[in-house]
Amino acid sequence: MSSIHSTARVWSLFALGLLLALLPLALLAGNLFWVNILIYTYLFAGLAVAWNIIGGFGGQFSLGHGVFFAAGAYMTAQLYLRWGISPWLGLIAPALLCAVVGALIFWPTFRLKGSFFAIATLAFNEVGLVMANYLEGITGGPRGLQIPFRAALANMIFADQRIWALLMFAFMALCLAVAIMLMRSRLGYYLLAVREDEEAAHAAGIDVTRVKLLGTALSAALASVGGSLFAMYVRTIDPPTVFSLADIGVKFALLALIGGIGTITGPVLGAFLIIPAESYLRASLGGGLPGMHLVVLGLVMLLAALFMRKGIAGAIEAAWRRWRRPAVRSPQPGATTPASEAGRA
Amino acid sequence: METLLNVLVVGILLGGIYGLVSIGLNLIFGVIRIVNFAQGELVMLGMYGAFLGFSLLKLDPYVSLLIVVPAMFVVGVIIQRVVIQPLQAESSMQIFATFGLLTVLQNLVLVFTRGEGYSVNTAVASLGVSVGEIRITATRLIIFIAVTLIAILLHLFLQKTLLGKSIRAVTQDRQSARLMGINVERTFMITFGIGSALAGLAGVLIAPIYTLSPGIGGNFILAAFAVVVLGGLGSVAGAWAGGMIVGIVEAFAGYYINPELKQAVWFLIFLAVLIVKPSGLFGQVGAEEIGFREQS
Repeated sequence: MSSIHSTARVWSLFALGLLLALLPLALLAGNLFWVNILIYTYLFAGLAVAWNIIGGFGGQFSLGHGVFFAAGAYMTAQLYLRWGISPWLGLIAPALLCAVVGALIFWPTFRLKGSFFAIATLAFNEVGLVMANYLEGITGGPRGLQIPFRAALANMIFADQRIWALLMFAFMALCLAVAIMLMRSRLGYYLLAVREDEEAAHAAGIDVTRVKLLGTALSAALASVGGSLFAMYVRTIDPPTVFSLADIGVKFALLALIGGIGTITGPVLGAFLIIPAESYLRASLGGGLPGMHLVVLGLVMLLAALFMRKGIAGAIEAAWRRWRRPAVRSPQPGATTPASEAGRA
Repeated sequence: METLLNVLVVGILLGGIYGLVSIGLNLIFGVIRIVNFAQGELVMLGMYGAFLGFSLLKLDPYVSLLIVVPAMFVVGVIIQRVVIQPLQAESSMQIFATFGLLTVLQNLVLVFTRGEGYSVNTAVASLGVSVGEIRITATRLIIFIAVTLIAILLHLFLQKTLLGKSIRAVTQDRQSARLMGINVERTFMITFGIGSALAGLAGVLIAPIYTLSPGIGGNFILAAFAVVVLGGLGSVAGAWAGGMIVGIVEAFAGYYINPELKQAVWFLIFLAVLIVKPSGLFGQVGAEEIGFREQS
């Protein structure tokens, strides 16, 4: 859809969208509670966009992206803790590693379709969890890693939360820019073709496995950067946190699905709806009845799955079409609908 | 030799538990191909059902089966009607919706129990048989016998009865099944109900062994998918064997390699089987494609 638009228009929409996303931070910068929520919102928006590259555009419903997230978190933290390597450099190595190794470990699962692929990648996450608990020398085992608070730009540790908000915002912008560039490139079209019909894509001369590998590599590298940022922000990481299915591994996919899978803006919309709602509900309901906020959130997920198959982005697009329809004057109502829709696309 | 035998017995009994918690999913995922991530929570509900019967009505868990199993059938039918039926043809939306369901069920129980752990007692808890050094508790023996019995009955049900045949028919080709006069929607509903009832039965039978917590379903769900896929989709005997494999591998890996790595070992075996032979060890080749083709 967006790929048909001219370059100038796409990037000005991108800039406009970023300004809009920055607006809540500008308004709430004085409120630490909301700044903290925005930090997570930007981070998870970026992660959902990263997941969406292979999960949405490529149609490979991965539930194993928690592994890349965790690899980024652990490696960046250890590079900093052991050898004093600045996290700014320390986030590059795991990103490259995840791109290469991640693609390689996903490779054998590419022959699996649909839910089998999802279950297999879910198993990766669980193997990761077991190994993180076991390999105490690397991960600190069940106790995890603690990063001492030494605020400095080079340490990527800031006393001012607003700097973190801006950093997470930049991460989201990076992921979005990568996704937009990808979807305007040959590889992007190949990914869509593979998602729509693998056999047809193959018949059309597309190297299906190579396309899936490249898509995974890109997606994994970005997820790893998100993990690195998360580690430096919370400064304490342990296996149940970074390998959590509900909060990490499956969450990326859920945010993308709620927002609108396989669209540029969908994952961001999903994160902007769910992360603040979740944090707010946890603060207002979680104290009295533990778990109540998750009951509400689970119901939202259920209802979204049942009544908003194309997510928020899809619902907005449908509403937009309905709103625009009366403006199009056609001499033969009914017969011209497909043509007029194509004209608007 | 004694140790080896002991580990083997432990593994087989553990395999019984894995087989039992998977047998409902074997029907729901293995036969009608619904990706139900909330299956572990159905087992959890069964456990809490046993606890309710035990604490309110002073029922022995084995007696409360008479109430819990039919109740879980109804729960399954409702879930199928409300959540699964509208998403019949969309497997990624099923993952999403059942994950939402999992979150709701798990946290509803958390809200009601306030996170307190419960345990269920039974009259047979202290019983057991000893063969030399090896001791087998009655609760685990009952589970092993139950899973074996249910596997045989379920196999006969699917192969011999009219309803069993129509369940297999709607999985293979919905359109033709409808033309043959099968009520497709009703068949799916009943199958999901039976799968849920079996999960409830598993929950009741394992309730005396585990401490009850709202998140306990999470311990079973990946194991259950592993068992169903390992054994072979839609093969009841395969699922029984899959449970045994997972249990025995876990027991041996835990004893001879490292207790912390025991699960990683069968995860890797599961992944290997999934990748090399997605139809499972005892499944028909190509079985993984059935039911996922586009159907109207």
